[in-house]
Amino acid sequence: MPPEKINSVAAFPVTFRPGRYAGLTGNQVVRGFFGGNAIVSVVVLGLITLFLLREGHGFFGQNRRNLEIYRAAGLEFVDILKRQEEGFGSLNRTLFEIRLAAGREKEPGSPMATAAELEAFDAYASELGDAAGPLRELVGELVETASAIKTKLVMNEDRLAERQHLLATGRQSEAGSIRIETIDSEAELRPLLESRARHSAISGSLAKSLVELSERMPSMSAPELQVLLGEFGELLRDYVASFPGIERQLAEWRHDREVSIFSAITAFLFGREWLTASFWQDWYGVLPLVTGSFLISLIALGLAVPLGVGAAVYVNQIARPSERSAIKPCIEFISAIPSVVLGFFGIAVLGEALRKVSHIAWLEWIPGFPIAERLNALTAGCLLGLIAVPIIFSLAEDALQNVPKSFKEASLALGASRIQTVVRIILPAGISGIISAVLLGLGRVIGETMVVLLCAGNRIAIPDFSAGPGVMTQPVHTMTGIIAQEMGEVVQGGIHYRALFAVGILLFCLSLMINLTAQRILGRYRLLSS
Amino acid sequence: MPVMDSSNTDLRIRTSMPAFASPVDIHQAPRALIEIENLDFHYGPHKVLHEISLQIPERQVTAFIGPSGCGKSTLLRCLNRMNDLIDGARVGAGRISIRGIDIHRSDVDVIELRKRLGMVFQKSNPFPKSIYENVAYGLRIQGVRDRSRLDEAVERSLQGAGLWDEVKDRLHTSGLGLSGGQQQRLCIARTIAVEPEIILMDEPCSALDPIATAKIEELIKELRSKFTIVIVTHNMQQAARCSDLTAFFYLGRLVEFSPTRTIFMNPVNPQTEAYVSGRFG
Repeated sequence: MPPEKINSVAAFPVTFRPGRYAGLTGNQVVRGFFGGNAIVSVVVLGLITLFLLREGHGFFGQNRRNLEIYRAAGLEFVDILKRQEEGFGSLNRTLFEIRLAAGREKEPGSPMATAAELEAFDAYASELGDAAGPLRELVGELVETASAIKTKLVMNEDRLAERQHLLATGRQSEAGSIRIETIDSEAELRPLLESRARHSAISGSLAKSLVELSERMPSMSAPELQVLLGEFGELLRDYVASFPGIERQLAEWRHDREVSIFSAITAFLFGREWLTASFWQDWYGVLPLVTGSFLISLIALGLAVPLGVGAAVYVNQIARPSERSAIKPCIEFISAIPSVVLGFFGIAVLGEALRKVSHIAWLEWIPGFPIAERLNALTAGCLLGLIAVPIIFSLAEDALQNVPKSFKEASLALGASRIQTVVRIILPAGISGIISAVLLGLGRVIGETMVVLLCAGNRIAIPDFSAGPGVMTQPVHTMTGIIAQEMGEVVQGGIHYRALFAVGILLFCLSLMINLTAQRILGRYRLLSS
Repeated sequence: MPVMDSSNTDLRIRTSMPAFASPVDIHQAPRALIEIENLDFHYGPHKVLHEISLQIPERQVTAFIGPSGCGKSTLLRCLNRMNDLIDGARVGAGRISIRGIDIHRSDVDVIELRKRLGMVFQKSNPFPKSIYENVAYGLRIQGVRDRSRLDEAVERSLQGAGLWDEVKDRLHTSGLGLSGGQQQRLCIARTIAVEPEIILMDEPCSALDPIATAKIEELIKELRSKFTIVIVTHNMQQAARCSDLTAFFYLGRLVEFSPTRTIFMNPVNPQTEAYVSGRFG
């Protein structure tokens, strides 16, 4: 290159790049620092997801094995018979309730049924109770047989796992000393399968005696009791009619039918029972927990949406600046209360107060009143509602703030009142922001743990929705609560441990979906208002 | 006194500037609809209007002109009490009366007042609703439910605002989908749908291109036969083109109020002359 060219470059005032440290310029270091911070949070999220999936994914395989053993050991077979026995038990209970009603006095001194009627009724009831004796005996025997097979299978399973562990750690000789029995399922299950004929006979004679009993129902003079007896007769006939179905189920049952992974998944997602550490069979059905979580969330939102959105409308549209600056920090301060303190308050104050109020006589018309349990979905829902109020309030207030002021001016200048302006212009214009505020509140409520653990009553059962709105006053358990409660007591790597992780994954997916939906709605709203 | 049609007057001063709208007969001025007497107005500790006295006649276009911050928009917003929305805004002294009623009296129903004084804003602000619902809004909040009455009012108002032919096939699409000038005419239609007596316009064309501006100005000229119009504008040509009377404000004071022709051709005050001739402002 000719030297004069170099001179002309030197005359052009450019600065030279700064020095490098470890091959990086100062700018790159700064950039790397901030970029690194951003990456760390993304990586942490990824790691959490990975960890959840790693710990939880094995559950479905284990649950499948759990169900396979349930089938192979004949527990499934025995459960068919157990259901028949339970059906009889519920018939007996119905009869007992009629007996209670008959013993009650209609008015002081005049009982519903005469002494003679009661005597006849009692004789009838005991005759009915005795009819199922042989069935009970059979079930009792088979339960023991099946349990014994299950114990063998489970022990084998454990030994297998132990041997594999030893082999993996390189202790060949110890592994070799572990004896694995071969279990001849056919032979083991023979007593069970052979009992079919006996069951058929028992079932036949039970049906015969029940039909005979249904034809000579005790008669009662009181019409109310007669109605109840009529209903009981209906139940009795329905029960007998279910016998052929049971026989067919028993005949079709095969111990070696394959359990698909799909059924292991549905048993988890739609299983109606969460039963652990049981001597008979463990069930990991998440439905009671999901319904509990959603029931509580619904109560919480039912409370928090009107409060939060209403407060947001007031503060944003109606309040004077002095009121605004007083109310806003107060509501936002609610989120500073630790949830364990709220839970404690729920146990000590709210639960008891609600129960006391529910026992006031003239409030009995409210569904679910009087409340039996101090800790129930309503108590937890009320407190969770309180937790959700600041979130819904803040976000809804933002949404209203983002509605252009010119809409309000235009509406007022047309002669609309403030209320008309809020209802017809401001709320519709901010509705998507408000919906996303509610969804984010729902996400917070679903994920909340401490309050539900302390206040929801923790009864693992699908609440009885036939009670109508009164379902709210029943104790429930939740997805978050069960993880917090049981995680400390489980064997790491065991099926129960993994089941809790599977619940965690479900919870994670639900929260993720709620958040994504909220963000999408919010994004659409921003697009609209800009 | 009957409302006079200024085009019939013999006293029109012939001028070489055809850009002027209909001049006013100053000897036979129509009666004042709005009377402003010695009005002082404050925003918190700041006094922004000083002793304004002004009489706005019926069925005329009155323009408020003046440099930014001179208080012309504030005065306009005093007329329908939109300043009530601003904290610390208050009338210090004086009064505004419309048809003899002091509008700042505490027992005046502001909602009723605002139904009588429609307002068109600087930036067009249709609601995020359909064109139809935008126009029908004012009637709906008054409790009108009758569909045929609403249909009729919507059509009449859109025709009045010169928008009917452009939107009649898409009445139920969003009002936000219209162009800027159409949106502003939609806002005018929305205003006239409730049949106010007075229309206040706060720089209605400042965000519009010249063609849209021309359409709005044409509309203002048409509307003056039915409504009393008060318009705030930065654009002196606009004031000259479409107003009958012009008030020039400077630093919160009314400097001069005369027929538009006088303000532009023969101003009394040297400040007015300096402003209208473009030497400041």
